[in-house]
Amino acid sequence: MKKVAVVIKDIKQQYEGLQVSLGALLDNVEIQMFVLNHEIENMDEAYHDNMEFLDEMEGERFSNNSANVEKYGFVHVTLKDTAKKLNAADLVIPF
Amino acid sequence: MKVLHLLRSEPDETVERLISVMADDADETTVKPLFKGDVDWSRLVDEIFSNDKVISWW
Amino acid sequence: MSDKLGIVAGTDKHLDWVIKLADAAHVKGKKVEIFFTGFGVNLTQRPEFEQLVGKANLSVCDLSFRALGLTGDVPGVGFKDFTTQAKNAEMLNECDRYIVF
Repeated sequence: MKKVAVVIKDIKQQYEGLQVSLGALLDNVEIQMFVLNHEIENMDEAYHDNMEFLDEMEGERFSNNSANVEKYGFVHVTLKDTAKKLNAADLVIPF
Repeated sequence: MKVLHLLRSEPDETVERLISVMADDADETTVKPLFKGDVDWSRLVDEIFSNDKVISWW
Repeated sequence: MSDKLGIVAGTDKHLDWVIKLADAAHVKGKKVEIFFTGFGVNLTQRPEFEQLVGKANLSVCDLSFRALGLTGDVPGVGFKDFTTQAKNAEMLNECDRYIVF
């Protein structure tokens, strides 16, 4: 199974990055999604539902933004740890 | 592992830090700033396939 | 030798790079798959987009296309090539190298 890291830094791509992560999970790809630097700008019903679906599909989600960790249950990660995880991934997709 | 980093724009602190830490564990690291122009696309295709991992940063 | 290159255009900033990379890979005998998604679907409306026809298999995220209010035919993109994120996932699994622009 391929291990793919989706790295989202651009606020405008937060939802698209989540969609890409979910699509990959459904095709038997192991996903680690990283939301860097920014809080989720629009935690609407669609984002929330898709985020829960990602959890149910055993995708992993990380963030170095404390609001994402405290409010939305992302696992905290530093940039250094992010880089280590990116090295371990087969594919890295910056979105 | 040989890693090729493609830069779509001037790297900010986040990208510089990620590349720097990743390079610590890589056997070979190449950084190509596409945003500066003057890209040899034919050569880039060769590099994309000769590296083990390619990341096109923002 | 690996020979399948996947390109995902998720922004509408770099059509010239997509064309040049696809062209160079095609000349070298690589198979090229390009998926346009998110704001990248806007690139389908540019006249230069036609230069990709015959050099790569093209597909477009239908949801993004409609969400951005786009309609009509796209050169080189048939009905079945208006697809979902499943296409992107397929590329992740099948392509030897995967580039995001």
